[in-house]
Amino acid sequence: MLERRVGTVFLVDDEEMVLAALQTFLELETAYTVRNFTSPEEALEAVKSEPVDVVVADFMMPDMDGISFLKEVRALKSHVSRILLTGYADVENAVRAINEAGLYYYLEKPWDNEHLRMVIRNGMERSALVNELDARISALENANEELSEVRKRLIRMFL
Amino acid sequence: MSGGGDAVPGEESGGVPGFEIAEAMNAARLATLGMLLAGVAHEVNTPLGALASNHDVLKRALEKLQDILADEVVDESELVEVRRIVRALAGIMRVNDLAIERVVGLVASLRTFGRLDRSQVDRVDLHEGIDTTLVLLRHRLEDRIVIRREFGELPLVECYPLQLNQVFMNLLINAVQAIAGPGEILIRTRPAGQSWVELLFRDTWSGMDPETVQRIFEPGFTTKDRRVGMGMGLLMSRQVVDRHGGTIDVRSEPGGGSTFTLRLPVALPPHSDPAGTGGGSGS
Repeated sequence: MLERRVGTVFLVDDEEMVLAALQTFLELETAYTVRNFTSPEEALEAVKSEPVDVVVADFMMPDMDGISFLKEVRALKSHVSRILLTGYADVENAVRAINEAGLYYYLEKPWDNEHLRMVIRNGMERSALVNELDARISALENANEELSEVRKRLIRMFL
Repeated sequence: MSGGGDAVPGEESGGVPGFEIAEAMNAARLATLGMLLAGVAHEVNTPLGALASNHDVLKRALEKLQDILADEVVDESELVEVRRIVRALAGIMRVNDLAIERVVGLVASLRTFGRLDRSQVDRVDLHEGIDTTLVLLRHRLEDRIVIRREFGELPLVECYPLQLNQVFMNLLINAVQAIAGPGEILIRTRPAGQSWVELLFRDTWSGMDPETVQRIFEPGFTTKDRRVGMGMGLLMSRQVVDRHGGTIDVRSEPGGGSTFTLRLPVALPPHSDPAGTGGGSGS
């Protein structure tokens, strides 16, 4: 039953009971490392310094709303899949979140555990693919640089 | 308290027939009720989400335990799984305690606001009504508005508590709607002499021009979008305060925020009529 791939999920909500419920479910049914944050600022510090693949954030939090928070996550680590979990369902916010924070998924409270697990699993896959793509692009860039160096040397040899 | 939009007067104000005012006052009461319901729905949603998730986890945990016990033998690897399940169950207990406590508190707030278990006229602590209203408005404050409470030592006040709670809700909603960005609402209370109390509600937003201030208690006058019940909240508030033998004043300057001040006697005037007079009730 456990997910094969292991990754790290950050949960960010000012409501302790929401965090604890999500964590209980994920720890029972998945092998992900789960970290809880009641403060978006603390979560951002952790995003900077720790490995993370998926972030699930509440919309309405004191100090910083979920969309601004996820925007900052994107600026720090663009490969992280960003999920907004909101009790304040409205289309305007959903559109804003998708456009501004490059949202991966938008979920409403109360949530369905099975759906949430699927969204997080797909988010993990997306995050891994983006990571791999980044790695390949930078490998290609390196190879390209080396090639142009070789080309310059070859030209110099024959001129 | 204006949000700075263009003033949109209602029906030809001053010439509104009485029965239309009565209808509009009912609409204002319904709008207050609507705000209240939205608040309740939002406040219930969080504990409900946690409880629904826990119920699902409980089912999963039970199935896992039944699987493990199916052959009547628990081996070493299954024991590890049982420990995981017990940890989950402990998590469920912790969250359920919090969620139940939250819903019980909400029901208590609703009882206080609606005076469900008390008489229509009562001697009450007005702070209780203000705090209850704030609980029900929490979802409207979002993360942008800070409430500063400067509560003095108030005596118990004889009043129609539900009606005053509706006034608090109207004034606070007005303030919330007036504040377009991050801001603050100050609520200050104090005794005024031996037999009066004073309640002040101040927002930190743009304030109103003199013309808006002059017309703010007119039927149907609003600077907000025209919607059902809009433009009647302040008129309703003034009628309630009149009924209590009190006064309500507004002071506002463009750029300086708006301040509503309520002065109420600690005892109701003799022959006070709960429905009010003069086209106010409509019921």
